[in-house]
Amino acid sequence: MKQSSVDAVIRGLKRAGVSIVCYLPDSLFKQLYPALDADPDIRTIRVTNEGEGAAICGGVFLSGKRAALIMENSGLRASVEPLARMGLGAGIPVVMLMSYRGELGENNWWAIPHGITMEPVLNALRIPYRIVREEDAIEQSIVDAYNWSYNAYYHSAIALGGEIVR
Amino acid sequence: MKRYDCMKLLAARLKDELVILSLGASVDEWYNAAPHMREASLFQQQLGCVTPQAFGLAAGLPHRRIISLDTDGGMMFNLGILATLGNEQPKNLFTVVWDNECYQSIGGPPTHTASGRVDIAAIARGAGVEQAYTARTLEEFEAHCEAGLKADVPYIVVAKVAGTVQPDIKRKHSDGREDKYIFVRHVEATEGIVIMGPSEHN
Repeated sequence: MKQSSVDAVIRGLKRAGVSIVCYLPDSLFKQLYPALDADPDIRTIRVTNEGEGAAICGGVFLSGKRAALIMENSGLRASVEPLARMGLGAGIPVVMLMSYRGELGENNWWAIPHGITMEPVLNALRIPYRIVREEDAIEQSIVDAYNWSYNAYYHSAIALGGEIVR
Repeated sequence: MKRYDCMKLLAARLKDELVILSLGASVDEWYNAAPHMREASLFQQQLGCVTPQAFGLAAGLPHRRIISLDTDGGMMFNLGILATLGNEQPKNLFTVVWDNECYQSIGGPPTHTASGRVDIAAIARGAGVEQAYTARTLEEFEAHCEAGLKADVPYIVVAKVAGTVQPDIKRKHSDGREDKYIFVRHVEATEGIVIMGPSEHN
C-alpha cells in the first residue's frame, strides 16, 4: 500500500469519528497497521480472530465511541457468526474495512477462496458494501459506510482492491 | 453453589456499573436477581461474544466499571479473548464465568469443563490474566466479587455452579433488539452522550 493510500484510510476513519480499531494483520494492508498503531488519536486492539474483533467493535458501539474492524477479506468468513447475531438479532452495527484478496490478478492459490466467497458472504448477510480501487475514493467511502451504518444500525463494508493494495 | 444465589450476592454490590450477559437460563435469573440493573444490563444471544463485547464497552468507557457475565460454553467458544485481555489489561472489566459444566439451555449435554481436566481460570492465567480464580462456595464467590469490582487489572472468577435453574421466576420477554435500545438509552442518559441520535430529517 502506498503511503498516500494509508493516509487516505486514516483521514476517512477520523472524519467518520473512529477512535478504536480492532485488527488482525494481513499482508495487503501491511503498511496500514503500524500507521494505525502510531496514530495518537486511534487506539488499536489486536485480536486473535476477526470474529472476536467484530464482537469487540459491537461493544465499542454500545459505549458511544466508534470502532472499525480492519482485516483481510478472509476475516469476513471468521466473523459471520457474531455479525449475524449482533446485526440481525440486536441491531448492533460493525463497520469493516477489508483488503480484497483473490480478485482477478491474484497470484496466490490460497487466496482464491477469499475472492470467490467475499461478495456471496456479504450478500448472504445483506451487508451493503463498496469495492474501492481508486485512492481518491477511499476517504469518502469510509465516511459513507459510517453514515449508512449509523442510520441502519447494521453492518457495512469497504473492500480495498486493485492498485490500492498491490 | 447455585448461580441464582451468586447473582443476588453480586447484584447487591452493583449500582452504576454496566453488565453484558450471555444467553440461556441465566437471562431470566439475572432479570430477577438484579431488577435495579435491568436497564444497565444488555441481555445478549451470542455464544463467544459476551466477554469481547464487554471488553469493547470497557475500552470505550474506561472510567466505568463493566461486568461480563459469561459462561463455560461461551468462553470455550472463543478462548482467544483471554489472550486479548491478557495483552490489553483493561482496568475496568470484571468477568464472571458461570461454569455449570453443561449446555443447560438445550437440556444439559456436557461442556468441555465437565471432564474435570479443563480449567478455565488456569487457561486465563496462562493467557496473561493473572487475577483469575475458581470459586466453589458463596463465600469465595463474594470475596472475588469484592476484589474484582475494585481491581485495576482484568479480573476473572469462574463460578462452579449447579446445572439447575431457579424455579418460579419471572420471564423476560423482550428480544435482543428491544434490549439494545433499553441499554443504549441507559448509557446515553448516564453518560450524557448520544449514541443513536436523530436522522438529518425526521
